[in-house]
Amino acid sequence: MRLPLKPVDRPTSLPADTTATTPEHGPAPAPKHGSTLRRLLHSTASVPASSPAPLWAGIHLSVCESAEKLEQLASRALRFTPRVSLVAPDGLLLEVKGSLQLFAGLATLRNELLGEFVALHREAVVAFAPTPLAALAAARAGRSLEITDPAQLTGQLASLPLTALRWPQETLARLACVGARTIGAVLRLPRAGFARRLGSEPLAMLDALTGRAPQALETFRPRACFRRRRDLDCELSHQALLRAALEPLFVDLDRFLKARQCGVIELECRFRHRHAPPTLCALPLAEPAADTARLAALLGERLDALRLPEPVRACELYAAALLPYRPPRRCLWQPGEHGGEAGTEGSDLIERLRARLGPRAVHGLSVRAEHRPEAGWTLTGPPPAVAPRGVASRKCAVPGITAGEDTRHDSPPHRPLWILPVPEALAEREGLPRRRGELRLTSEPERIESGWWDGAQIARDYYTAIDIHGVRLWVFREREAPHGWFLHGVFG
Amino acid sequence: MTADDPRLVRLLEHPAIWRGAGAAQRSGLSTGFVALDEQLPGGGWPRSGLIEILVARFGSGELSLLMPALAALTRAAVPRWCVWVDPPLMPFAPALASQGIVLERVAVVSGAHPLWTFEQALGSGACDAALAWARRPQPRELRRLQLAAERGHTLGVLFRPRRALRQPSAAVLRLGLEPAGDGVRVTLLKGRSTRRGAIDLPWPGS
Repeated sequence: MRLPLKPVDRPTSLPADTTATTPEHGPAPAPKHGSTLRRLLHSTASVPASSPAPLWAGIHLSVCESAEKLEQLASRALRFTPRVSLVAPDGLLLEVKGSLQLFAGLATLRNELLGEFVALHREAVVAFAPTPLAALAAARAGRSLEITDPAQLTGQLASLPLTALRWPQETLARLACVGARTIGAVLRLPRAGFARRLGSEPLAMLDALTGRAPQALETFRPRACFRRRRDLDCELSHQALLRAALEPLFVDLDRFLKARQCGVIELECRFRHRHAPPTLCALPLAEPAADTARLAALLGERLDALRLPEPVRACELYAAALLPYRPPRRCLWQPGEHGGEAGTEGSDLIERLRARLGPRAVHGLSVRAEHRPEAGWTLTGPPPAVAPRGVASRKCAVPGITAGEDTRHDSPPHRPLWILPVPEALAEREGLPRRRGELRLTSEPERIESGWWDGAQIARDYYTAIDIHGVRLWVFREREAPHGWFLHGVFG
Repeated sequence: MTADDPRLVRLLEHPAIWRGAGAAQRSGLSTGFVALDEQLPGGGWPRSGLIEILVARFGSGELSLLMPALAALTRAAVPRWCVWVDPPLMPFAPALASQGIVLERVAVVSGAHPLWTFEQALGSGACDAALAWARRPQPRELRRLQLAAERGHTLGVLFRPRRALRQPSAAVLRLGLEPAGDGVRVTLLKGRSTRRGAIDLPWPGS
């Protein structure tokens, strides 16, 4: 069963840079944009036949906004559809055909949209129409029209005042002289004469308005990294208070990630002080995460371990590495139940440990084909959360440690379970090693002589020894002078 | 599906299924030593819960005692992790591999908060087994560890010095261990069975 990846899945198949309205009986596209437009036309034609026409929501704000504020509003509007266009200084266009199902109809979508703008303390008029310009013109005229049928478009637009098109004052005055004050009156004028008197630009706009010609719009691209700063009212030094101070930033981050359907792979938090340089707290994650509650908890763990030189005046949250987020698969079994896979608990555990203990706290082990004991193993990154299938049946490829029946006369060398990172020098008396008492050698010597090619040559005779307490040790004697004794492992 | 079907057997290993005394006897995880299996309640190591192994000295053979069980856990059909929390020395990977342990399932965690790490590993549900070498855990902390191990269905093994014998402990099983000849002497100090006493286990191959 395939479930849509995102609530606004379908429109993402359209090209992201520019979009065009459906040119049902419009003129052929100009040759120089031909290839682009043909691509766009092709992609709009791929929308299923049951919904041939797009539906645009035009939003007109009562106050002009700065470009930055308008971008903020647009990124909030991404919650409704991925196709948002800015119309500076006071308009937004949203293609909402694909979102109607999700928001259970036009009425609910309108309420949600209005609610969003009320929450942002903005006054807005929302109108719906099959062409972007028509939706915008209706909204500018203060009419909350809902035109879903392209056949009714011209009729519904007829009564709108011409000022909604924002033509130059001179054009409007000349049209007023011939008695054309509404869109309907202008549309009734003969095309050839209209173009001759007023130029081709207003005519092209009228074609875009009625859907005769496509209109290219630039789709709003939200910023690809998240950075928010919060200046604190008073200086804080207590971790719990800092955690609370970060909460609004995480609310923002949640919105940011939801709008982009993304997860973060690395989160950075910066605490600014009065004098000291800012304290940096980075939170690398094992896989993209979009659950901000979990991120906040992880960062909280990190905060507990953080030492702040001074009280904090401002905090800043920064997420640069965004990756597409796939919601986790759910398993029927509870974690740890027999038959149930480990699921996400493994990566959760790694992240929690790394958050508290540092990024290098968790290691895996692996074996290298090498006879020198100190080079025979390496630390690796953390083991995968879910074991690859068939890992248990794979034979280990270790020199001298091959599974099977024919290894009887080639039994694996006896190796200690613990190894000392650096061999520990032992005292010696009468040619025998000592460690808190006499050591008794219980095995034949095993000679390991290797590594002449990389400058770390060893030449040693290894023995198993038992100390006075019965602990079995792995000791060696160097073959070269001064023939010192060393402890290298504990059998455990 | 017959009673021998491995899937059925696996399902019936669920700790929430109670199958009467006879079956419960075999619910443990075999230690790999027949004499020890007979002595332990459940016929082996418990599959979830905290056990304590008290040793006179580090390296008395406590890790070798666990090796067959750990190898079996990492080779299970759906293996989880085997976490080593802040081990006093580095586990020697070739030796672990030769004992049959799948190294892909082994994670070594080092850091400043071994008891916290141990509790996280036990309670996360991501581990089959977790080993820790604690210095001076308080009885209250041991209780937390035991609860976490039950919650995460994890076998927690805590290695402690012999002098901890006098302290009370919430662990489901406590063993004393000392070297004896070519093997170890295991003393059952606390467990859900009436059997007490010491047994000598020789090392295989010696």
